[in-house]
Amino acid sequence: MNREEILRAQEKSLAHLRSVYREDAETVIADARYGFISGLLTEAMRKPAIERRTISDLIDKVLINRWLGIPIFLALLYGVFQFTFTVSVPLMDWIDEGFGWFADQATTISPEWLGSFIGDGIFGGLGSVLVFVPPIFLLFLALAFLEDCGYLARAAFVMDRLMHRIGLHGRSFIPMMLGFGCNVPAIMATRTIENPKDRLTTILINPFMSCGARLPIYILFAGAFFTAHQGLVVFSMYAMGIILAIIMGLVFRKTLLRGPSGHFVMELPPYRLPTITGLVVHMWERGKVFLVRAGTIIFAAVVLIWLLDYTGALEPIGRAIAPIFSPAGFGQWQAAVALVFGLLAKEVVIGTFGTLFTGAEELGGLGDVIGFDLGWTALIAFAFMAMTLIYVPCMAVIGTIRRETNSWKWTVFVIGYTLVLGWIVATLIYQIGSLFT
Amino acid sequence: MRMAKEITIALAGNPNSGKTTVFNNLTGARQHVGNWPGVTVEKKEGTCRYQGYAIKVVDLPGVYSFTAYSIDEVVARNFVVEEKPDAVVDIVDASNLERNLYLAVQLMEMGTRLIVALNMMDQAESRGYKIDVPQLSYLLDVPVVPMVANRNRGTQELLEEIVKMADGEVQPRKFRLDYGREVEEEIAKLEELISQDDELSQRYSPRWLAVKLLEGDEEVVKTLRATKE
Repeated sequence: MNREEILRAQEKSLAHLRSVYREDAETVIADARYGFISGLLTEAMRKPAIERRTISDLIDKVLINRWLGIPIFLALLYGVFQFTFTVSVPLMDWIDEGFGWFADQATTISPEWLGSFIGDGIFGGLGSVLVFVPPIFLLFLALAFLEDCGYLARAAFVMDRLMHRIGLHGRSFIPMMLGFGCNVPAIMATRTIENPKDRLTTILINPFMSCGARLPIYILFAGAFFTAHQGLVVFSMYAMGIILAIIMGLVFRKTLLRGPSGHFVMELPPYRLPTITGLVVHMWERGKVFLVRAGTIIFAAVVLIWLLDYTGALEPIGRAIAPIFSPAGFGQWQAAVALVFGLLAKEVVIGTFGTLFTGAEELGGLGDVIGFDLGWTALIAFAFMAMTLIYVPCMAVIGTIRRETNSWKWTVFVIGYTLVLGWIVATLIYQIGSLFT
Repeated sequence: MRMAKEITIALAGNPNSGKTTVFNNLTGARQHVGNWPGVTVEKKEGTCRYQGYAIKVVDLPGVYSFTAYSIDEVVARNFVVEEKPDAVVDIVDASNLERNLYLAVQLMEMGTRLIVALNMMDQAESRGYKIDVPQLSYLLDVPVVPMVANRNRGTQELLEEIVKMADGEVQPRKFRLDYGREVEEEIAKLEELISQDDELSQRYSPRWLAVKLLEGDEEVVKTLRATKE
């Protein structure tokens, strides 16, 4: 009985205070605390008479400038990919040649099935994924640099301003940025968003942020089909993801999740020179996830694919699904199989191709073999990249969405709408592009 | 050999206050990452030994406030209130004191055994802020340790204060913020009612609970509803 009494008394007090202060008691209490702090600091701290313009302020004048902010953000992002590419290509070639050599040796192993398992499955399938360790780690290194020096908070601030204008919550962009590493922690980071509709919207659009696992797919196809503009093509995938996220965010906010957005003032931490230890630790924290996945789920998936392929069960599965993707240009059974198994983890898209096309090295690389064997053009490759960006997030992300939304309805919704959207975008790219070629 | 005395301390602080660096400085490689029970918020724990103490260090999620607006805030707050650690170290960005001390004030209101770690002193100095540390410590009546965590300065002094707190050399004072006459009257009414409830007043400080109720704290309201007879 007493507890009900307490709650009734609470309501009475709140109403009374609201009438006295014309404000919520919460605000009055917060003001009292800040008042205490302000008084405390007047006695215990002296600030310079005229606050010096710090270097941070000067840099901010440029980096979060109303007009320059977004172009600078995009230019830096582009720079990150150029850096990732330039440095990692020679490293990747070495690793690729190494695995190729081992795969060749494996063909002499008897019995024949074991040789195939080791050559096609392990070195072909898993190897084709592990080749991408250098770019993934370099990308995470570059992102760690931007984060540690304080730029990523600015990027969020700049995008925040844009998002406010279209009615999306400001805190959303930090989880979006985290999505470049992996969408799982990014979706978990949406917990800092107070407004439930803002939070759900952010979860729904987060998978469009290209995670580290999608980078190998972009690099593989950009390298094979767009030799002269690799960096630009990969960048365009990231940009497409961001743009789709903004568009879909707007759509959800105007339809399914209508309502007012929460308030939030973004904090801009001062710029700091990153420490080497900090950079290495942050790179490793994100990168190790990839290595662990390579040793567990990707490995398991590759073994499964090899087994299905070796027993001849893979092709019929692919052939049953492939026609769906014909309008988008990649209606071959191999591509269909890669997309299906890519649901386990997006790296498996590459792993599947790696298993199906071993011995690719002599022909100049996996990407070239796909072009040759499947007859893909640059346009088809681009449509396929867009598909892998947009279609159903990987299993781990789906699980996270289920947990965080606590709703099967929204989880199934994400699976459905991303699949349809991916198909539409890929088909549009292929069909419209075909008109010009 | 004498057994090491075991104590538990919690690290609180705003995001970007260098909390993780302090945690690493204290615990080195002896870390364990898990989840807070029931939720998927990451829970980092580590241990360190100092002057015959085995100190368990719990890294709370970085928060600006102890309201109930996000899971992080609820997790951090519940740990402090329910587990009653032997000391709570609030990592404060010295170059942004106004904002960072907000959490410290709330911790003091909760009656925790608080130590304020004044981190990033170098940044504050380079901005020309002159912080009178002894004065700050005197006014707050809690130990204040100046630090530059990313250069591992002040870790020793912090451990010193933690041990003093655990030894009972430093007693937390009863902190009481004056919210103004009108609010205080309402607090008094609620406090009175809460004190009559044995279970509640044993678990929580009645005044703190009263303030939380006036803040319209969902979590506290939920607790009251859930345990209603």
